[in-house]
Amino acid sequence: MTARLVTGATGLLLGAYGAWLLLSRQDSERLRDAGVWFVSGVVLHDALLAPLVIALAALGARLLPRPARAPATVGLVVLGSVTLLAVPVLGRFGARADNATLLDRSYTAGWLLLAGLVLTSVVVATVVRARRRSTGAEGRSTDGPSARR
Amino acid sequence: MRPPADTDFTSRLRSAAVTARIGLWLGICFAVAFVTGLISHYAQVPDQPVPFPTNPSWGYRVTQGLHVTSGTAAVPLLLVKLWTVYPRLFKRPPRGLRRLAVEAAERASIGVLVAAAVFQLASGLANSAQWYPWAFSFRSTHYAVAWIAIGALVLHVAVKLPVIRRALATDVDSTEQDRPTATEPGALSRRGLLRTTWLAAGVAVLATAGGTVPLLRRVSVLGVRSGDGPAGVPINKSARAAGVTATATSPSYRLTVAYAGREVSLSRDDLAALPQATESLPIACVEGWSAGATWTGVRVRDLLDLVDAPPGHDVRVVSLQESGPFREPVLQSNFADDDRTLLALELHGETLAIDHGYPCRLIAPDRPGVLQTKWVHRLEVQA
Repeated sequence: MTARLVTGATGLLLGAYGAWLLLSRQDSERLRDAGVWFVSGVVLHDALLAPLVIALAALGARLLPRPARAPATVGLVVLGSVTLLAVPVLGRFGARADNATLLDRSYTAGWLLLAGLVLTSVVVATVVRARRRSTGAEGRSTDGPSARR
Repeated sequence: MRPPADTDFTSRLRSAAVTARIGLWLGICFAVAFVTGLISHYAQVPDQPVPFPTNPSWGYRVTQGLHVTSGTAAVPLLLVKLWTVYPRLFKRPPRGLRRLAVEAAERASIGVLVAAAVFQLASGLANSAQWYPWAFSFRSTHYAVAWIAIGALVLHVAVKLPVIRRALATDVDSTEQDRPTATEPGALSRRGLLRTTWLAAGVAVLATAGGTVPLLRRVSVLGVRSGDGPAGVPINKSARAAGVTATATSPSYRLTVAYAGREVSLSRDDLAALPQATESLPIACVEGWSAGATWTGVRVRDLLDLVDAPPGHDVRVVSLQESGPFREPVLQSNFADDDRTLLALELHGETLAIDHGYPCRLIAPDRPGVLQTKWVHRLEVQA
């Protein structure tokens, strides 16, 4: 318990030092902007991204055949998170006319390639699972919870 | 319509057993990013009580590459981890003032942790792609919020330690710490979700790390840089952006070396006539990209000898560029006196391109790219 208290107090001190750094090194206008960005991230996640993922999952559960659900979930996690972190390059927001070495790939083509790979993997995995299910079903009449993976 | 409650979330994947396992790796990623970030920040401090080491020459390349890579890998980890704990956002507040206060404090600390974590990843990723859609100073804000993030993380681990311990000590399918309603099997098993998360983190790294890991260059379709550029090395700031095109190509260009009232002025031909040295030193930028390179030029130590500057003095390196925070950084004495530190005239055997710093640029071992001053026109040995 003492160790936990000491660790917790250390965390508080580290965070307080960061807050002091943040508040003492910039003028109020820049600080306000930093504050807006600080709050926006968590709000956008909790109010927009998380409900969107839940809605997508609900839609998938309704529309997709059972063998496609697990592969589609894997595809959504992989492609969704990679797409989100690639927003700065996909939008090429930092591109500069005087610097040809910056953002010098065809990002749309790269993303399509990645998306194609993910989609192909999802389809292949779905077909394999559907076949396995249909051959497996002849041998077993009971479908336990473990088979629903 | 009533607002959702935590009991409405029924998937058995949203379990502490899953959260703790992803959280462990997320914590490791944040720790790596924090430590490598501190290293990078210290390397850019002009007055260093403990001199930043010049060895190994590839040190900064590795630490800054790790910094950006661990931040990239953390994105899928953070997203899935937040998904597993999302129901807690809708937990009904407890009765009783004391309990309510404890709950409010915990929620506030979690709010700060999530806000800081998302801020660090988003601002870091945008910065690595040189995108600045904000008015605040990136460097000082990213540095300050790093302390907030790591502080909130340490506090979070302290608060959750019993839950984390029990979760990691039992099987991932254990329901011991689950919410009573979290019983519905999902499309994936818990192990399946964990493997998916590791896969997403791996794909994220492979798709972006080519800017710093040459082996991945062709795989990293979403990398900020392909690695191409003049003499096969990318550039960060062009001569045009720095406003030095005219002064850098002017025939009246001279490099001045100054120490204690003595000054020596050298044209580019004079520099080329001095004894030349060739060194293999990587260029590694704070934005995370890096490239190995072979530079040829005059040893900075030889130039300082021209004005009889003794070893052990810091050197102010002044660029032709007229503004910018890194126009005249300090080259600490241990870097100035290192034999590998050059004022380079050539890159990969070709005359330095103007965007690489023609007529001459500084290149020193184990040093952030912003401090490898281009278009150098003065070396002032400090008293």
